[in-house]
Amino acid sequence: MEPLLKVENLRIELKTRAGVAPVIDDLSFELGHGESISFVGESGCGKSMTALAIMGLLPEGIGRVASGRILFDGEDLTVVSDRRLRDIRGNEISMIFQEPMTSLNPVYTVGEQIAEVLRAHQNLGQKAAWAMATELLDAVRIPNPGRRINDYPFQMSGGQRQRVMIAIALACKPKILIADEPTTALDVTVQAQIFDLLRDLRRQTGTSIIMITHDMGAVAEMAERMIVMYAGRKAEEGPVADIIAHARHPYTRGLISCVPHIVANLTDAREELTEIPGIVPGLGEFGQDRCLFSARCPQVTDKCRKARPETAIFGGRQASACWHAEEV
Amino acid sequence: MSQLLDVRNLSVRFPVGRKGAGWGQVSYLTAVDDISFTVRKGETLAIVGESGSGKTTAALAIAQLVGGETSGRVMLDGQDIMPANRDQLRAMRRRVQVIFQDPYSSLNPRKRAEEIVREPLDNLTDKPAAEKQEIVDRLFEAVGLRPEQKRLFPHQFSGGQRQRIGIARALSTQPDVIICDEPVSALDVAVQAQILNLLRRLQSEFGLTYVFISHDLGVVQHMCDSVAVMYMGKIVEHTDRLSLFNNPLHPYTTALLSAVPSVDPTLRDQSRRILIPGDPPDPLNLPAGCRFVSRCPVAQTRCRELAPELTGNGTDHRTACHLVDANLVSPMQSVREAGL
Amino acid sequence: MSDETFHTPVEKARSPLAEAWEMFRQNHLAMVGLGLLILIVLGAIFGPILYPTDPYEMVWAPFSPPGAEGFLLGTDYLGRDILAQLLNGARVTLIIGLAAAFVTVVIGITIGAMAGFYGGAVEEFLMRFTEFFQVLPTLLFSMVIVSLFGASLPMITFAIGVVSWTAVARITRAEFLRIREMDYVMASRASGAPGLKLMFTVILPNSLPPIIVQSALMVGSAILFEAGLSFLGLTDPNVVSWGQIIGSNRQYILEAGYTVTIPGLAIFITVLAISLVGDGLNDALNPKLRKR
Repeated sequence: MEPLLKVENLRIELKTRAGVAPVIDDLSFELGHGESISFVGESGCGKSMTALAIMGLLPEGIGRVASGRILFDGEDLTVVSDRRLRDIRGNEISMIFQEPMTSLNPVYTVGEQIAEVLRAHQNLGQKAAWAMATELLDAVRIPNPGRRINDYPFQMSGGQRQRVMIAIALACKPKILIADEPTTALDVTVQAQIFDLLRDLRRQTGTSIIMITHDMGAVAEMAERMIVMYAGRKAEEGPVADIIAHARHPYTRGLISCVPHIVANLTDAREELTEIPGIVPGLGEFGQDRCLFSARCPQVTDKCRKARPETAIFGGRQASACWHAEEV
Repeated sequence: MSQLLDVRNLSVRFPVGRKGAGWGQVSYLTAVDDISFTVRKGETLAIVGESGSGKTTAALAIAQLVGGETSGRVMLDGQDIMPANRDQLRAMRRRVQVIFQDPYSSLNPRKRAEEIVREPLDNLTDKPAAEKQEIVDRLFEAVGLRPEQKRLFPHQFSGGQRQRIGIARALSTQPDVIICDEPVSALDVAVQAQILNLLRRLQSEFGLTYVFISHDLGVVQHMCDSVAVMYMGKIVEHTDRLSLFNNPLHPYTTALLSAVPSVDPTLRDQSRRILIPGDPPDPLNLPAGCRFVSRCPVAQTRCRELAPELTGNGTDHRTACHLVDANLVSPMQSVREAGL
Repeated sequence: MSDETFHTPVEKARSPLAEAWEMFRQNHLAMVGLGLLILIVLGAIFGPILYPTDPYEMVWAPFSPPGAEGFLLGTDYLGRDILAQLLNGARVTLIIGLAAAFVTVVIGITIGAMAGFYGGAVEEFLMRFTEFFQVLPTLLFSMVIVSLFGASLPMITFAIGVVSWTAVARITRAEFLRIREMDYVMASRASGAPGLKLMFTVILPNSLPPIIVQSALMVGSAILFEAGLSFLGLTDPNVVSWGQIIGSNRQYILEAGYTVTIPGLAIFITVLAISLVGDGLNDALNPKLRKR
């Protein structure tokens, strides 16, 4: 079966003061029906830009798709009309953002905001939209939805607002839900509730989920496959369990081991954390013909500094863009 | 080892105006409610909690940096350091320093890096200029910054480097206690490790004592020697590192730990998610009994009526829960087993 | 090597001020404004020396149009050389503008800073005080001051300053309230900085950008204000300023429009130049437009 979303050799260029930089450089991936994948990496690596490109929301006049295709159900989103794109956005692909505090309009009740989306995209009448909005609030587990539907955003907690955002995103039963750091601004107990909700909704509706995060733990909980991004390029891709068990890219490995994870049986021993020295290169260095991670890599050799790594495939499903993937 | 820092009955409340309240009527939001804890010399106490738990307010109250009404006693080496006058305040500031959460907003954008690091020395000591310069030079090296970066301004540094400047500033007066207020939560994951390792290295090098505020249990597990878990202004559990993580007793601690997403598949299977429903209560309208009662899966009638005291029942593992006794068995045990 | 500083190349220390100038330089309109302003200031300083005709002397027949008999800008109703008046008046006009803006800024910053820093009852009182001045009709109030205490230049400057400081006070207070909450202010407190030091060496310098912009624009509005007062005749008739030229010639506006138009244009260009510079300063100093 054809994948739901297929991105082919996507290159996105961003105008900067110093010139044009490829923020996304030759990215290809697929997303199946009902599948859940995660994009991981530090800030400035192009995770959010990928999401914006799929949504057709690249910053106008600054960013553009330079080459490649984004095939959604066989339709190339990089060439369709703005009108069609607007239609797809919200109806078939929707997105939730990191900041539930600012994503809602403070002067309308949450009910009005959900109903508005339903009327615009589903052609529902006033009454039907309102009834549906109540149902959606119930589906995202907001207690007492019949009453809370008249609340203004400021009357809700951060977690509840994110639930409302999810309700809006799911209002038109999209095929893909893009979640850009959906729980970063929330407390962990609330994050656990939101993850639980997203998992259940995915099971019930069959919506595919693309989650963008920097938290390997969240990836392990939420996704089947992950794509590790570094400096606009795909560093590694594969099933989450395989990558966590044996990462084939030094960057992935660093990302997993630089964070102190909760362990099951804690002992007195405390290792130093593995560090990834340095920081993500600036946009000016993007697109150079070398491994962009080489400056921070513990296993760097001359070859890494001279040529962009080819992709090595492991077991037919794990891919790593590293000259030394074999040895990692 | 001796207790270096001993905080007793610390409370902080802020006056708030409420709609409907008449003139002259002031109601209070109690951000920190009668908490006590101790930290041993050279060790790290982590104060953990979610937003609104009062962890940051409590820590900043120790350093006299909150605007609300503070009461209680803070003893440093057996000496009350709640200052009565300006000289005592200066003495206290020399001994208690703070590393702030956001390295982007905690450095004055109009000052050079070396001026920022030197500021506590200028304000709090009478050292000659040459000696201050020498101290600044040493600190730059200790936190991993190059000498030629001394003249740069904050916006010329990356987030991690800025936090190094903040750390150097906190070290400059050789304080006894450093309060680390979420020192890595504003940094990128890969940079967090650099700063955490630096903090631990400096601790063993200079024998520093940290009060480490964090919401990230992974970071806490890595950094702390003992932990105090806060919920709605109260400490609900206070014990050493191993006891807390291996045998969490308070239902809130248990839920908090199980909520952390983990890369460890065995841990994921073992500790089935204990989802606690709902949100924390309104801090201006707290329940009469235990503050966690509205979200607690094992709450009983007495929990609604009587607020539990923080007690160890004769052990060092202190918990504020009616359902924990001297056997140190978590009341969540049954829930966890039912979940499996 | 676990040192993230390792990879960053050595940078030159660039102060926020240097960065702001860099931004300002890239703003073409602001640079045009700055150029005009420099020309006007140079004209005010050196003009009367290079063109020593006495502006108070009758030099030719009244109402000679521009260009006639070698008088580039013509003569006014008393036969005085308008160019000479313009050059000499520029000094007075600019000085009134600057001095009035200075008065404005001194009163405004003092009151705004105290309100923003101390808060509570102090703030409450000072802001009510500010509002009192805000609701006074400015032109009327300044006319009252000038007619009561005499139309001398210092009094006119003072009158303009007294009626226009409220905007600066409000901006200063708002900035103080914002900066006061910044972590670096708390960090300075933790580093032992006493109250007044915090106010003057930490909060004030960081609050300055919008105040600077406002003060620059204040110079322009003070010049306009002075022109307005002069037009109404509330000015020192013995001192020539641009406003005064317009005021004294206003009866002849239909017969000899140029006597009013020329100083009017001078005012217009000056205020425009100041606005452009103010705008450029706003962009250059506004941290929101800059990356952190």
